[in-house]
Amino acid sequence: MSPPRLTGALRSFSSVSKKEDFSEQLYDLKAKRLKRQELFAREGLTWQKIVHFCTEHQDKSQQQAASQELKSLLLAAKQMVASELGQAVGESAAVFLFETFHNKDHVGTEETRAIKHMFGPFPSSAAEASCASVGRLVALLGDSRVEDFIQSQRSCRNLDRSAAFGRNIAFSHDGYTLDPLEGLPFSGIQEESASLDF
Amino acid sequence: MACARVPLDEQQVTEPSPLGKERTLPALHPDRTEERCFVPYKPPPEDGSPADVEEFLEHARFITEDLEWLLALPHDKFWCQVVFDESLQRCLDSYLRHAPRGLDLSTLPSSPAVADMQRSIHKAVFLTFLRMATHKESKEHFFTPAVFGEIIYENFLFDIPKILDLCVLFGKGNGQLLHKMIENIFTQQPSYYNDLDETVATVLQVFDTVLQKCGLQCEGATAAEPMKLNAHKKPTAMTMSQQELLDIILYLCDSTTTINAFLDIFPAACTSFQSHSFLSSLTSFYETGVPDLEKAIRKRNFDDKSLQEDLWKRLSHSCRKMVETVHLLLHHTCLQPILEGRENMQTFAEELLQYFTSFLPEKRFLTDYDEQFPVADDISLLQQAVPVIDETRTSYLLQGVESAWDSVGRRKPQSQTRTSQAQAS
Repeated sequence: MSPPRLTGALRSFSSVSKKEDFSEQLYDLKAKRLKRQELFAREGLTWQKIVHFCTEHQDKSQQQAASQELKSLLLAAKQMVASELGQAVGESAAVFLFETFHNKDHVGTEETRAIKHMFGPFPSSAAEASCASVGRLVALLGDSRVEDFIQSQRSCRNLDRSAAFGRNIAFSHDGYTLDPLEGLPFSGIQEESASLDF
Repeated sequence: MACARVPLDEQQVTEPSPLGKERTLPALHPDRTEERCFVPYKPPPEDGSPADVEEFLEHARFITEDLEWLLALPHDKFWCQVVFDESLQRCLDSYLRHAPRGLDLSTLPSSPAVADMQRSIHKAVFLTFLRMATHKESKEHFFTPAVFGEIIYENFLFDIPKILDLCVLFGKGNGQLLHKMIENIFTQQPSYYNDLDETVATVLQVFDTVLQKCGLQCEGATAAEPMKLNAHKKPTAMTMSQQELLDIILYLCDSTTTINAFLDIFPAACTSFQSHSFLSSLTSFYETGVPDLEKAIRKRNFDDKSLQEDLWKRLSHSCRKMVETVHLLLHHTCLQPILEGRENMQTFAEELLQYFTSFLPEKRFLTDYDEQFPVADDISLLQQAVPVIDETRTSYLLQGVESAWDSVGRRKPQSQTRTSQAQAS
């Protein structure tokens, strides 16, 4: 709980602020994760694009191998999202996993954090399986081709963060700290209590 | 993208509707808002259990990610989000309410990851408020000033408690930027001065409440009906629970730091505070409340001696802030106009002397003030700027200061003694 604050009193006892019920939470983490998945699904890269990219210009045996890996990836993705959410959500999760693992050879801390941030708690076996499937897909297609494909999709959808407001502003993290008056040394306390000791 | 060189509040955009048909609508329109679902901020966990840390990090990651997205939006989209997305305003408000402050009891984050995340979110929140306080972002991206003032006020994007929070959270190292922000807010929307007036009245009640809680000011003390002898006695600083005493000191520490930070960053507010006789209320509180609280901290039996020491430091810090606030108020409302050679210098000088005279009975306050900001120095400045000052009066004042030191049994620092003796003679 926050300590008692002046601005808390002002919010409660003056009429200069909007009165809101903060006990009622608009969104919790679960709702936020679902929204994030929804926003991700609306962005440029789709499962169809990945399927097309992985199977075009391949001979029959490679196409078959790629299709098999794509199936495994989709299956692992579906294990990570709530099954009742349908095919589209599973495909969007598979896109996310493809992007996450396309240049990774194992499930590291960063990847675990990113997946949890997107889907919440998930079975680690599904993460391992999807990482392995993506690895085999990339081996079939070639690292640089996959990287170029991902980059081209990213550039279509991302906001230009380098032009974000405030990028050139020098921000200080300094904060106010306790600054007692010199004239009130704490030693006074001991003196006072010592004088009572007789 | 909305069209250029026209204020955003007058721009129209043509966009496909949700049904795919083209339509023209104002650039600032709720339909142009993205449903982003900003989550509210929760402060770092105090005990640092892994589950709590993880929850904090996840919340904070969502917030920084969303705010960075917001800051990268074009001007028109940013303002649609700010005005129409309730979850964004709740997120920002929750940060101002719950973000840890340098003066809080436990402010050290439990892990480097938590500290890093807290720093990211802190900066992103500041930049968001900075953008919200900017009515002209560039030659192409701007508002009609009056409309900007209306938007920020009517939508409570800024209110006085938020402005005070911003000062105490970010003011230490970002004072200049905050000054520009707050000055712009008050310039574009003078109604904030009315709100400030109302707020000062509530701030004064805060000090009264502390006195009441310490049993130093009874409700209806002047009431005609006498109290019964067997009436329930009010608790005092000595008899209240330790938790209550802790809350009072924390409250006082926060209040004095917040007011001081705000007046330091936005001195134009000094006049509003003065119009409510804030100065005399503050000095009177200092004289009545501080010795009582000091006594309670000294004499009460604390099992935890470090808590006792901490409370002492906080009270002492509060004293410093009160003294500094009085100096700020005197400086900006009386001394500064004199030094700038404004009209009616004589009136300002008279006012300053009047204030100093009113401090004479508040001996404890006066000595602490004189120690930090020697009265003799201000009198000397006054005599140089306004030569017609009555010397008998200034001598009386300086002698009063000397006698205040004697009566509280403290010795004035040597360097000051010489100056004031020279002044008095």
